[in-house]
Amino acid sequence: MSVRAARQFRALLVKDLRLELQTRETAVAMVLFAVAAMVIFQFAIGTRTDETTPFAGGILWATLALTAVLGVGRSYVPEREQGVLDGLLVAPVSRMTLLVSKAVAIASYMLAVEVVAVPLAGIFFVEGPFFADLGLLLVVCLLANAGIGILGALFGSMSLFSRARELVLPVLFLPSIVPVVIAAAGATHAIAGVSNDMAEYRGFCLFLGIYALVFGLVAYATYPYVFDD
Amino acid sequence: MSEGAALAVLGPNGAGKTTLLRMMATLLRPDAGELRVAGHECPEHADRARALIGYLAHDPLVYLDLTAWQNLELFADLYGVPRGGIGDVLERVGLLARAYDRPRTFSRGMMQRLGLARLLLTDPRLLLLDEPYGGLDARGAELLDALLGAERATRAVVLVTHDVERGVALADRVMVLRAGRAVLDEAAAGLDPSAFRERYEALVR
Repeated sequence: MSVRAARQFRALLVKDLRLELQTRETAVAMVLFAVAAMVIFQFAIGTRTDETTPFAGGILWATLALTAVLGVGRSYVPEREQGVLDGLLVAPVSRMTLLVSKAVAIASYMLAVEVVAVPLAGIFFVEGPFFADLGLLLVVCLLANAGIGILGALFGSMSLFSRARELVLPVLFLPSIVPVVIAAAGATHAIAGVSNDMAEYRGFCLFLGIYALVFGLVAYATYPYVFDD
Repeated sequence: MSEGAALAVLGPNGAGKTTLLRMMATLLRPDAGELRVAGHECPEHADRARALIGYLAHDPLVYLDLTAWQNLELFADLYGVPRGGIGDVLERVGLLARAYDRPRTFSRGMMQRLGLARLLLTDPRLLLLDEPYGGLDARGAELLDALLGAERATRAVVLVTHDVERGVALADRVMVLRAGRAVLDEAAAGLDPSAFRERYEALVR
């Protein structure tokens, strides 16, 4: 990335984070949604026991996947509703810089949600300590967020030009992140509670990394055409 | 078009004026033909062309929930121009006192002036203006007149407008579009703006 592209990336990311800090319309809504979903799961499954513990990772990532749909749907709202998209597209910024900055913004919102959702999953569903090593969980979150961010930025921009975007986005995006949910839930399960299956954990993390990389390349190849016409 | 040249694109609603401008702004890909913007083949070298383009549409193309200053900081970084000029530009458009307010609280005229400030900051070689006077207040219109008049020497201007008289008066070449085709393309020198209206009406009828 050139110095100029780095400056543009920083400006676009700061713009998204500033907009979020000033309006609190995306990350806050995502956190509230995640909390509500967790509470519903808790009522549906019941009080935490040894039997609920193995499901904690799955419930956590299913909740985060649904929350991501909400966040991605909101991620291009300022550009769409305030008519700024043309201003960005006519600026000398590569389409990839636009994509990466939006992907990182979505991943940042996801991280904010995870700060709340992970402890909540522990409280609601895990008997005993949820994680012995939070650093290992952070790696899972970052890798999963990378995949979610890239796919979210790609599909979010594609849905910008669709009249039925509220329908199109979940239909395209949610199935695409199923592998992320499976791998992230698997990696979480491998290190949750008293489990410590590092081989399984590494395998799932590797899958998450490869998934993000592959869809990064897909986005690199297709993103410039999203905004053409 | 060379530096200092100004083209007025006239035509009724649906004639293709905005589509033509959006193609020049590299926002649309032409179905056929060649498009060269500021010497760069588009869309192949659109990135290079974009650095030289200033585009002002009906909307000011600014974020309503960032302050005026933050908006200009964003565009300064995107265009690779120093942030040092932001204060001067805001003063020039009469918005320095409102630099830390959000455009959401601005009047329509003030928002358009902020859009003008975005143009002034990036100092484009090619100005693409789509009905730029719409929504502008007196101060904004004065600034735009200066940009299209005395300060035009170093840039080319394409002005899309419904205002036939103003278009003929400001430009040195006039193009009239009807149903996506140019039905007139000639020098504006010697044209009487008010007399040209009758001819224009006959062309687009």
